[in-house]
Amino acid sequence: MIHLRSVQKSYARGEQRVLACAVDRLDVAAGEQVALIGRSGTGKTTLLHILAGILRPDQGEVTVAGARLDGMGESARDRHRGQHIGMVYQTFNLLQPFTALENVLLGALFGRGAGHDARLRAEALLQQVGLAERMHHRPGQLSVGQVQRVAICRALVNDPELILMDEPLGNQDRATGGQVLDLLLEIARNGGKTVVMVTHDPESAKRMQRTVDLATLRSDLGAAAVASHGGHA
Amino acid sequence: MKLWSISLRNLRVRLVATVLTMVSIVLATALYAAILTMSEQTEARYKGSIGGFQAVVGPKDASQLEVVLNTIFNVDVAPGLFPLRICTELRSGKSAGRRTQVRYAIPQARGDSVSRFNFPVIGTIDEMFSRFEWQYDGEKREPLRFQAGGPFVYAYDELLQLADGLAAYETAKRTEAPEPRPARPRIQPQWKKAVVGARVARTLGLGLGGTITPVHGKFGEFGYHEHPEATCEVVGILAPTNSPLDTTIFLPIGLHYLIDGHEGGVFLVETPPGKTPDDARKLPVEAGRIGLTAIVVDPKDHFGARLLRQEFSSKEAQVAWPADVIPKFLQQVGNAADALAVIAWLVLLVAAISITVAIYNTMNERRREIAIMRSLGARRFQILAIIVGEAALLSCFGALLGLVACHGAMLALQGVVEDATGVYLEWAQFRVWEAWLLLGVTGLGAFAGLLPAIKGSMTQVADNLAQNY
Repeated sequence: MIHLRSVQKSYARGEQRVLACAVDRLDVAAGEQVALIGRSGTGKTTLLHILAGILRPDQGEVTVAGARLDGMGESARDRHRGQHIGMVYQTFNLLQPFTALENVLLGALFGRGAGHDARLRAEALLQQVGLAERMHHRPGQLSVGQVQRVAICRALVNDPELILMDEPLGNQDRATGGQVLDLLLEIARNGGKTVVMVTHDPESAKRMQRTVDLATLRSDLGAAAVASHGGHA
Repeated sequence: MKLWSISLRNLRVRLVATVLTMVSIVLATALYAAILTMSEQTEARYKGSIGGFQAVVGPKDASQLEVVLNTIFNVDVAPGLFPLRICTELRSGKSAGRRTQVRYAIPQARGDSVSRFNFPVIGTIDEMFSRFEWQYDGEKREPLRFQAGGPFVYAYDELLQLADGLAAYETAKRTEAPEPRPARPRIQPQWKKAVVGARVARTLGLGLGGTITPVHGKFGEFGYHEHPEATCEVVGILAPTNSPLDTTIFLPIGLHYLIDGHEGGVFLVETPPGKTPDDARKLPVEAGRIGLTAIVVDPKDHFGARLLRQEFSSKEAQVAWPADVIPKFLQQVGNAADALAVIAWLVLLVAAISITVAIYNTMNERRREIAIMRSLGARRFQILAIIVGEAALLSCFGALLGLVACHGAMLALQGVVEDATGVYLEWAQFRVWEAWLLLGVTGLGAFAGLLPAIKGSMTQVADNLAQNY
């Protein structure tokens, strides 16, 4: 499902380039559930954005869901992301003016299309996560746990092969967040979906089948060479 | 869900800014539509109103435009008088060429009005309803139609007899001839009949058998007074023509001359060399110099028209050709309308710029929202389409409301405009150019949205996703 080879991503800061992420080799099998851990500044979020096709690496090969993202143009990566990847963010990133159902449908609109079938699927997903009565509420009218569930439905609405999560338990209480995360992992397991979650929380990482420390993926560079980059990790 | 529904939602979220920006679009569109409508309907009204008038004879010292506007469109007071003899000569063929070159020459005399609406009263002969022809809806010309009743009876010969009688009476009075002097002709009961236009009947609630009393001057003005001796029974109501004929009241011209107070100005008297005007007022008058305000003339054919153009010669009257005069007049009106239209387009341009500014100013606060949509798979052109769609929808709604406002204003001001200009505004009539205006304003708005849309589509996804505003 995921194959990374000699991937590096750096940013310009003034006249210097700051290395934000470096991965020699990473392979994730289809259906596998992997936690990427690492201390702050190790490039977890940057790596997630590379896997999503939001960022293109400076060098290296990135193959996700059968597509070589490092050679793709931006528009093709956008389309690929919309159709094959579902994303869940730490802050959930729902759009405030839209209802829960509409937020889920937005995922479909930019993915496989927001027609009648997508609407039925979005409604079914919201029912599955216990939001049948709240699907016409806006994010501001929902609890944090409910918002998290809406975000999960949005990630699943296109029936993606890969789900990427960035600190999905974020700022909420562990018990509630953990239940929702378990629900997502169960849906993913039943659907044979691959899940990659970046986190610095060991408890969350334990829920996954495999844990990969990002520092260990950079044998040739060494952890000490990793530069801190607050905005991207 | 569609892209445009996101655009629509974004407009609703910023409702106050949306409404304020839309107001300028509404005003500009309404202004432009109103200018175009007034210009178009004025032109239609004026062009349509000359359908039955081939040529009009009026006083020499007025302009041709004044003659046409007063005779056909009832604008202003009559610009002057000229003698009845010219009408007689036209009818007999003495004025132009060696034979009669006109199918009809119908005398008119005006000066009074009826009601506070100041419907003009025109004294004329019954040929106005038997020989004068009107072009209904672009079809072949035919005599005026009546929706009720029929014409009064008053022939040209009766006018000539009355002129003789009045002249004899006036001459005896002016020259202080010894008694017994000729008696002043009296108003005959059969002359106290009126034919009224369709709008006169509708506005005043007149039916057959109803009565009207002419007013000297205009109702409410200093010196106005009613002429109860000339109160007439309505014997005919004309069918609508959508022309000033609808607001006109026709009386027998003889009645007009016998209304109290008209006798002093009925005859045209020239002051001979070496005499004072007071001396001239004591000279005998001629029947042929009874004053007319206009003659409605129809040449027999092209040859007749040419002769009338080339050979009509009088030091007191002239022939005006509405088909020549009105287009020139409309061109001048059109130039003014064009200038107003340019102003309306400038207002639209300013409104479009306000759209650009309004949406551009929201781009910073929308970076995260755009980044989220991009992270869900939205491509740059889709973000561009959403923002351009916002501007286009804003403009489209504004233009629609502007058109509705224009039609609403036409409905509200219909009566006022008709009273002031004689132009009847067809408020319910939608024209093809309104669809083009709607499209044009929408397109302009979409174009105005391009700059913020480009800025929005360039939003960096990773940078803005990471921020928690």
